[in-house]
Amino acid sequence: MKKIKNIVLGITLGVLAFSLVSCGNNKSKEANTLEKDKLVLGFDDTFVPMGFKDENGEYVGFDIELAKAVGEKLGKEITFQPIDWSMKETELNNGNIDFIWNGYSVTEERKEKVAFSDVYLDNRQVIITLADADINSKKDLANKVVGAQNQSSAVDAIEKEPEVLSTFKDGSIVTFDTNNDAFMDLEAGRLDAIVADEILAKYYIKQRGEEKYKVLAEDFGKESYAIGMRKKDEALVDAINKAIDELIEEGKAAEISIKWFGEDIVVK
Amino acid sequence: MEILNEIIEILPQVLEGFKVTIEIFILTLVLSLPLGVVVALIRLSKIKLLKEISKIYIIIFRGTPLLLQILFIFFGLPLFNITFDRFPAAILAMVLNYAAYFGEIFRAGILSIDKGQYEGAEVLGLSKRDTFFRIILPQALKRIFPPVSNEVVTLVKDTSLVYVVGLDELLKIAKIASNRISSIMPFVVVGIVYLIFNGIISKILEYCEEKFNYYN
Repeated sequence: MKKIKNIVLGITLGVLAFSLVSCGNNKSKEANTLEKDKLVLGFDDTFVPMGFKDENGEYVGFDIELAKAVGEKLGKEITFQPIDWSMKETELNNGNIDFIWNGYSVTEERKEKVAFSDVYLDNRQVIITLADADINSKKDLANKVVGAQNQSSAVDAIEKEPEVLSTFKDGSIVTFDTNNDAFMDLEAGRLDAIVADEILAKYYIKQRGEEKYKVLAEDFGKESYAIGMRKKDEALVDAINKAIDELIEEGKAAEISIKWFGEDIVVK
Repeated sequence: MEILNEIIEILPQVLEGFKVTIEIFILTLVLSLPLGVVVALIRLSKIKLLKEISKIYIIIFRGTPLLLQILFIFFGLPLFNITFDRFPAAILAMVLNYAAYFGEIFRAGILSIDKGQYEGAEVLGLSKRDTFFRIILPQALKRIFPPVSNEVVTLVKDTSLVYVVGLDELLKIAKIASNRISSIMPFVVVGIVYLIFNGIISKILEYCEEKFNYYN
């Protein structure tokens, strides 16, 4: 039984040592992010078609390819770190990641927390319903159950129109972990409408069958995708903007856009 | 046929995710069980200060959601200049949480041993240490097997919480695949994986319980 005691002791010490070793390397202390050889891109790897894991376990998507091209321009290695989307700004400001780069919409609220690059994609917040629903305008959403992705810019966009939001059933939005969950709920008939990024919505509608849905002409406003960085990393913001401009000039950005969206929708 | 193809297509990623899940499961179990014994001993110690500390520890870790604990250790501690990587942060939170539960289970087991056992050991001239490790603990372990088994099975399922620090465990993999192919099939597949894994774990625990039952 002495054995048991030794094992207990050994493992307890192991836990302690393990915690101590893992301590201490505070990455956010790095003075200038641009001087690092490796930059860490944080993204939600469930976010098709901007950045996600494909069937081979590789990270792919429009943003991933654009980021790789930018990395080549800057002569830096870009590593891709999946994060939980609701924690993105905390991940950035803690220094765990150097960019939020994954269909990240520019909003006033976010501008206070992060520094944005130039806008590289335009987007709208569209309203999607089932094809046979009798909803044709925002007005028809009165007393309907409306869903969106939790912590997404769709939620921000709806909240910007409180007079519309207050007419929803219970005066609130049902939020989901992913847009896919929202689509499944719409199909199950528990949701009457979804508000989502047009780019994302198009992907899902294509996947699930275009005849099943309709996208309303009215929307919850236009918005733009940009890359989020720490406020103090001004030099990095400039470098990224320059690299993307060059990629647009060379036609590389258009090439990536056509590959993922079927058309060139990059903002020039 | 299409469904079959879908399943075959996602299997390699499911295996990847399962690897993460199993790593977290094994590390948490191996580290939290002995730590649980320590917690139980401190909780039962005669030194009042130690006893109070262990009480507070148990209140905190049983009284708050595990998800919150993971969030706090990964995102909150950097504010105090203590930074962990993703994997160690997840493990640390899970170990501390499970050790609190195991500690209470062990305490119950130790307290359930009849006073006569201590008296008998004393008569035989065993030291306090020997009494605990040779007489009390082995008997306590037998009694607490069912509640510990319960926790072990729960642990398998709780590994799914580490998605919050960006680790791609089994359930997260299903979420990614579900988003990509817009189908709920991946959830069914990982559900079956969890079931099979827990089935195996339950069988092993059952076998161990029988082996432990050498006096009956």
